Amino acid sequence: MGRLTLFLRLWLWFSFRHLRAHYRRTLAVVAGIALGAAVFTSVRLAVHASIDSFTRTVDTLTGKADRVVIHPGGRVPESVVSQLAKHPWVESASPVMTTYVRAVERWTGPFLLVGIDPILDRPLRTWETRDRDVASGLRASAWIDLLREPFSVLLGDGLARRLDVREGGRVEIQGPRGNTPFRVVGILESRGLGAAEGGETALVDIATFQEFTGQPGFVDRVDLLFKPGIPSQEVESLRALLPAALVLEMPGESRESGRLLIRSYELNLSVLSFVSLFVGMFLIYSLVALNAASRRHELAVLRCLGASSRLLFVLFLFEGVFFGVVGWLTAVPLSGFLVGRMLHGVSETISLLFVRVRVDQVGLDSREVALSLLVTVLISILAAWQPARQAMKVPPREALLIRDSLAERRGSARKIAFLGTVLILLVWPLSQLPGIAGIPVGGYLGTFLLFAGFSLVSPWVLSLLGDKMPEVLRKVGGEPGFLGARTIRDAGARIAISVGALITATALFVALVIMVHSFRQTVTAWVNQTITGDLFLRPRMAEFNHYRDPLPRAAVKTLKELETPVQVLPYRRIFLHQGNIRYQFEAIDFPVFLRYAKFLLLEGKPEEMIPKLTEGEGVLISEVFANRSRLRLGDTYRVRIRGVEIHRPVVGIFRDYRTQGGVVHYSLSHFQELTGDDSWGGARVHLVDPGPDPQASAARVREEIHRRCVECVPGVEITLGNDLRRGVLRIFDETFAITTVLLFIALFIAALGIATTLMVLVLERAREFHILLAVGAERSQVRRMILWEAVLMVLTGEIIGLGCGFCLSWILVYVINRQSFGWTFVYAVDWSSLLASLPLVLAAALLATLPASRWVFRRSPAQILRQG
Amino acid sequence: MKQWNELTTAGGTGVHPAGPIIAARGLTRVYPLEACEVIGINEVDLEVRAGELVVLKGDSGSGKSTLLALLGGMDRPTRGCLMVAGQDLSTAGVWDLTRFRREVVGMVFQSFNLLPTLSALENVCLPALLAGVSYGKVRSKAMELLAWLGLESRVHHLPGQLSGGEMQRTAIARALINDPPLILADEPTGDLDSANGHRVMEHLGELNRRQGRTVLIATHSTLADPYATRTVRLKDGGIAEMTWAD
Repeated sequence: MGRLTLFLRLWLWFSFRHLRAHYRRTLAVVAGIALGAAVFTSVRLAVHASIDSFTRTVDTLTGKADRVVIHPGGRVPESVVSQLAKHPWVESASPVMTTYVRAVERWTGPFLLVGIDPILDRPLRTWETRDRDVASGLRASAWIDLLREPFSVLLGDGLARRLDVREGGRVEIQGPRGNTPFRVVGILESRGLGAAEGGETALVDIATFQEFTGQPGFVDRVDLLFKPGIPSQEVESLRALLPAALVLEMPGESRESGRLLIRSYELNLSVLSFVSLFVGMFLIYSLVALNAASRRHELAVLRCLGASSRLLFVLFLFEGVFFGVVGWLTAVPLSGFLVGRMLHGVSETISLLFVRVRVDQVGLDSREVALSLLVTVLISILAAWQPARQAMKVPPREALLIRDSLAERRGSARKIAFLGTVLILLVWPLSQLPGIAGIPVGGYLGTFLLFAGFSLVSPWVLSLLGDKMPEVLRKVGGEPGFLGARTIRDAGARIAISVGALITATALFVALVIMVHSFRQTVTAWVNQTITGDLFLRPRMAEFNHYRDPLPRAAVKTLKELETPVQVLPYRRIFLHQGNIRYQFEAIDFPVFLRYAKFLLLEGKPEEMIPKLTEGEGVLISEVFANRSRLRLGDTYRVRIRGVEIHRPVVGIFRDYRTQGGVVHYSLSHFQELTGDDSWGGARVHLVDPGPDPQASAARVREEIHRRCVECVPGVEITLGNDLRRGVLRIFDETFAITTVLLFIALFIAALGIATTLMVLVLERAREFHILLAVGAERSQVRRMILWEAVLMVLTGEIIGLGCGFCLSWILVYVINRQSFGWTFVYAVDWSSLLASLPLVLAAALLATLPASRWVFRRSPAQILRQG
Repeated sequence: MKQWNELTTAGGTGVHPAGPIIAARGLTRVYPLEACEVIGINEVDLEVRAGELVVLKGDSGSGKSTLLALLGGMDRPTRGCLMVAGQDLSTAGVWDLTRFRREVVGMVFQSFNLLPTLSALENVCLPALLAGVSYGKVRSKAMELLAWLGLESRVHHLPGQLSGGEMQRTAIARALINDPPLILADEPTGDLDSANGHRVMEHLGELNRRQGRTVLIATHSTLADPYATRTVRLKDGGIAEMTWAD
């Protein structure tokens, strides 16, 4: 206890008062750490809330089911329910149907409509309605009305608020067969089914659902609750009971496959948000190192007076802890502000790209909060470690100002550069390691080694610059240039750390600009070459409902009988999963497709591939599916759809950027022949003669379809080709909005670091500047010397950062993206963006020197030099 | 107010133990630089008995500060043997040297070397706190020392608020807080005017004559001469001349 008291007292006297006396730089570092911690925390909380919402919804919808019966590519006949219910080990068999729909007015966002049998479903899922006013004479149980009254609905609390409707009110819902009015017979409590999708759920009786969707006699799935202790052979006997087309599977598979989709996005966002904290680490390192260097004499005095080297180490390490804790505490309100904004962006992105999530609020997850504190403090301790080690090495003899060996300092820059080079060389082998459970561990490690390696090389580069450049700069910038270069050479670690921060932020900026540009270029090529078509038809809400419902027959008939000459490309899209891998099985008409579009092939020869695809003797798989399933050219793809086994060799692998898993293409005609399913999931329409204005011609065809097919208006979504392609690219741009924000925050923190270092270096050299004035230098010359130092520092950081950024962009494109999401893209550099943005950082840093210069010249040389 | 002699402990009662308090044989310190070596001191033999006041004189670069650093446990000799207060400093470990600096020697520096974020009182308490003495106990002793040195009204002032003489007296109080038998002073009057310089020398002389502490002063100034029991003149890292006072 005594030792702790001594330490805290000493820290307060020696360290805290110094930080307080130099409060501006202290605040700058706290602000940098707070921003980094706030970004990290808010991103983690937002992602966690989104995943939590998804998991809760899936778990709520799954309920207590032990198994589910589904029909891949189709629906389950209702007759199966009674057969299963008779099994001696089945406690309950409950049919379930779900679809996303929209209300016609008030609020038109999509919400989940669930159809269940209220009696059969009771053992599996919980849901409660708000108690009615018994005194008014109404019955207490609203769910009975669901059974008695067709087209009655229970609304989740969140949905009721959105639609501004109460019990007894009416809501009109858009369905495949038109708009249907429903009577609201109750409001669900916000628990159980009522909590799914953030309360934006509606519950109807299954018969109502079947009539609403035009699916009499069929259900989406049957959930089974077993009696306790069911032997495994009885589960197998259930399988034998089912018709060939039906499958018995575990209920959690959709949750796990959905989580897998989100996980890569979650990880990448977390890593990106962590970079802000990582850059903030340089800020701490920079200030603690500056403190240790500028107070070297005081440290020597402390050693003289009997302080052990270990005590000095802990004193400076504790400065790191101080910054970490205070920074984190400052981040708390900032996180509260950021998380709301992040939550909207993150949940929208996840919903757009992967799985639907509805988050109404962010819970304060104690684990995430603890993780954020732990990471922030650990990072801060790590940052202060090396300066603390340097501080503990200060010999007591320096209190007497006895000369030290210069050779050690020079030698250490070379040794550090050697270590940095080794780290950079390790990046290549690390990045070649396969991912672990889909996580590009080698890629992430390689990224941080790259940052560390290039940062460690910077002191040597700076000292080399300081050695070689002075004479050159003397010619260019006169004596101020010469002196500026000399300062860079001798400043050593004091500036190298801030340059390291700038290298990290610049590298990240460069790498992400290249990655996003490469990605966009490739996606644009994909959109323009693969997603061709003047019109796209699909069932309304098909994207939300995973193309479960086919195009109405009337729409198919209309397309076949259009007056305008068109070429129709039908397709059948079925969402499946292979273990934890979600993908889309899409049967298409290959000859028609290849007349108007092409695949961006990665493997396979078109002349060999196309005949096999057309004859139904092979499948074409996407790069994502290939990477996830590990199927290669020549391997056999196996699937069971509508009770039919399809085994075909992989004849080609192509680039595809659909985000809801991979894609497998098969011949439509052969699929229809094998399965007997001749329905269309959707269709593309190509105009034979688009005319001078293809957009207008396509709009006219859309009008013709609406005119000829009245049923198509409510049940079919018709999108103009250009609108669809623009929409895809807009989604792409929106998904990178968060990335761009995080990137600029990291850049800002790095710029803060550079600005703080420049200011401190200027302020601490006031005596040196005044010596120059005393021997005849002009103020403008001294200012130019400071400017040259800033220019050299920032240019060094940016040039090394540029090199590091190109290396990092390679890792992002070919390692992290491939292992995280399964795709790669064509590498392309956006030189104009890069070259336009880098000077901005230089300008920002140079601006930082102005107030410091002004402060230095406030007092006269006589005053400064007299103080000693 | 306590008299100065009441502030002493057994370490400074005027009783001189037998044997030299400092014994150096062939003491050498060499500093390696990039292209050459700098010899701080070279083959110095020196014995100092307890209770002496030795003045080290010599031009800049003669080795005064180097010798003081070695005697104070702030540096290690390159060669030779050095015993101070019974401890072999030439082979002592890092921790032993740390304890030595806490318990055996009190340093007074030319540029005072007070920690700028600590008040005068806190600066004086610091060595005792580092030695593990509780703050309550050391605070009262520090107040007495500061009062003895005429600084009772300045105890809570920061170094930046003290004059040169006041800073150096604070430094003397700091050097005494752990009752060390040996006081080392490196140009203690170098940054002071003559009046303050006289005053500081008087205090150092009192410490020697009335408390019996061994004092070594490295200085260019002649202010220390009247108090010296011996003067050692250094030149080019070695002892050129040694004179005893009458």
